[in-house]
Amino acid sequence: MNGGSGRGFPLLWLALLRRRRMLVALLLGMVVFETLIVVIVDTVPPTTFFSAGGRRPPAVFRAFSGTSGEVSIASYPGLLGAGLVHPFWIALQLTAVGSLAAAAVAADVESGTIELLMARPLSRTRLLAERTAALLVVSALLNTAATLTVATGVALSPRLREAVPLGGVFAAGLMGWAFALCVTGPALAVSAAGRHRARVVGATIAVGAVGFAVNFVALAWEAAAPLRFVSPFHYYAPADVLAHGAVPWGSFGVLAGVGTLGIALAFALLARRDLAP
Amino acid sequence: MRATGPAIEISSLTKRYGRTVGVERLDITVGTGEVFGFLGPNGAGKTTTLRCLVGLLKPTAGRVRVLGLDPVADHRALAPALGYLPGELRLYPELTGARTLDLLARLSRAPTPRRAELCERLRLSSGDLGRPVAAYSHGTKQKLGLVQALQHDPELVVLDEPTEGLDPLVQETFYELLAEAAAAGRTVLLSSHVLPEVQRSCGRVAIVRKGHLVTVRSVAALREARARRVRLTFSDGRGRRPLPGAERWSPRWEDDRVELLIPPHEVVAALRDLLTLPVTDLTVEEAGLEEAFLDLYRDAPGVRPDVSGQDVRREERP
Repeated sequence: MNGGSGRGFPLLWLALLRRRRMLVALLLGMVVFETLIVVIVDTVPPTTFFSAGGRRPPAVFRAFSGTSGEVSIASYPGLLGAGLVHPFWIALQLTAVGSLAAAAVAADVESGTIELLMARPLSRTRLLAERTAALLVVSALLNTAATLTVATGVALSPRLREAVPLGGVFAAGLMGWAFALCVTGPALAVSAAGRHRARVVGATIAVGAVGFAVNFVALAWEAAAPLRFVSPFHYYAPADVLAHGAVPWGSFGVLAGVGTLGIALAFALLARRDLAP
Repeated sequence: MRATGPAIEISSLTKRYGRTVGVERLDITVGTGEVFGFLGPNGAGKTTTLRCLVGLLKPTAGRVRVLGLDPVADHRALAPALGYLPGELRLYPELTGARTLDLLARLSRAPTPRRAELCERLRLSSGDLGRPVAAYSHGTKQKLGLVQALQHDPELVVLDEPTEGLDPLVQETFYELLAEAAAAGRTVLLSSHVLPEVQRSCGRVAIVRKGHLVTVRSVAALREARARRVRLTFSDGRGRRPLPGAERWSPRWEDDRVELLIPPHEVVAALRDLLTLPVTDLTVEEAGLEEAFLDLYRDAPGVRPDVSGQDVRREERP
């Protein structure tokens, strides 16, 4: 580490170094997956996807393309949006967030390494700040990989370029990062208060999976429609963003606000607790 | 950092984990330059106390001052002057030994003038330092733990079971390092259940039991106050027999031989009486710290915390 990248931020560096193989795999997985989505969408016209029997796709399919209802999944933005809200995309995001949020505090407490760290002149604020920064960097890398892959596909395909503004792809990427931030906040709070990494990973999956399920139910069942407001997937609607080409700042604010509140809560919880195995 | 006054002041320290008591109303003062032992069995509260000293745990009640500072409130100012070896040393398995030392030194924000010397003396080779910690034996990890605790030449060294897993040669080096630290005016707090280690290294010792302080006194005084172990062999072949007044000395019989633990001030008078019997062999030796330790640890309501240095010896042995 002498003279290495860990000079200024050793804990950020440590968090990234320890999970470098997983991070490379996640990045590769994201690039390969989004490449497949772009190739499929470009190869098969969207209208043929759901044209058997002359039926239109059910309304609940909106949950799978990430739209509030304005954009059909049987369209280029709808299908590309499906690639940015697909369970595989969600799994990659949650894996990164869950793993690094667990590593922020709970994993060190569980393994006992926290003793050596905190016997140093290291403030709790700095510990969490560097670990949070690692998480935000990884989320940014993951969403940048997805965004650049889709953007490359859109730029290279005349049909996609005509239907999807390139600015929309980058706006969708920003919203993807905001979604990750929204999940990061609660996950970090659980890590800051906890002593078991499994609980942090579980909480991260719960926020993602339950959020998706709630949004799905709210779209499928009219009586449950108000529930959509508690799901991050109501605010993260990549198909809409791809179609319109602009960042929905209101939704961005909700996602980023929840994430920021969670991170603030994490700092408050960490300041109060004992830090020993 | 402050150069005068006690290095460690613990007043009425209480730490509870919910309903579980870690330590209760602990009072200990360790002077600057002292090598101080902290003895007790598992669960006695040693590690809890040490973690309060280095600022990992916040006391439930009481006051802790280390080098004149509050370990929690003044953590960033205090920590560079501390060297800490946890009882259960956990390291990042992916990092090499060298990277581990670099990381911890960087977090300590202090130069590491003693690293090379310590690695050499503790027989931690460059080959060892280049390997990931996951490949280390327990003893090698412990050596790395000692280097990280001492490499920045701290004013106060807090060691929790430091010789665990070290081979005898390295243990010898460790004792030399302790002696050198004391000679250089460093303060060392050594938590251990290895009695000879404390006996050899420490000037004073605190004994804790079930979260309470049993006594604080010098090792010499502890040993001095201990009973003398008197072994007698009788020549008449009668075996076990009543010995006048000896029941309070916990006689242990084996055929014609008996072992007694006699308080030092009674030894001469006791021997005068005993030697009126047909004795063919007699040995008298000082009971070690282990006996002192075990005696103080026996579960008896009569034992009260005593930090004055006065004898709290009990009169009976089980």
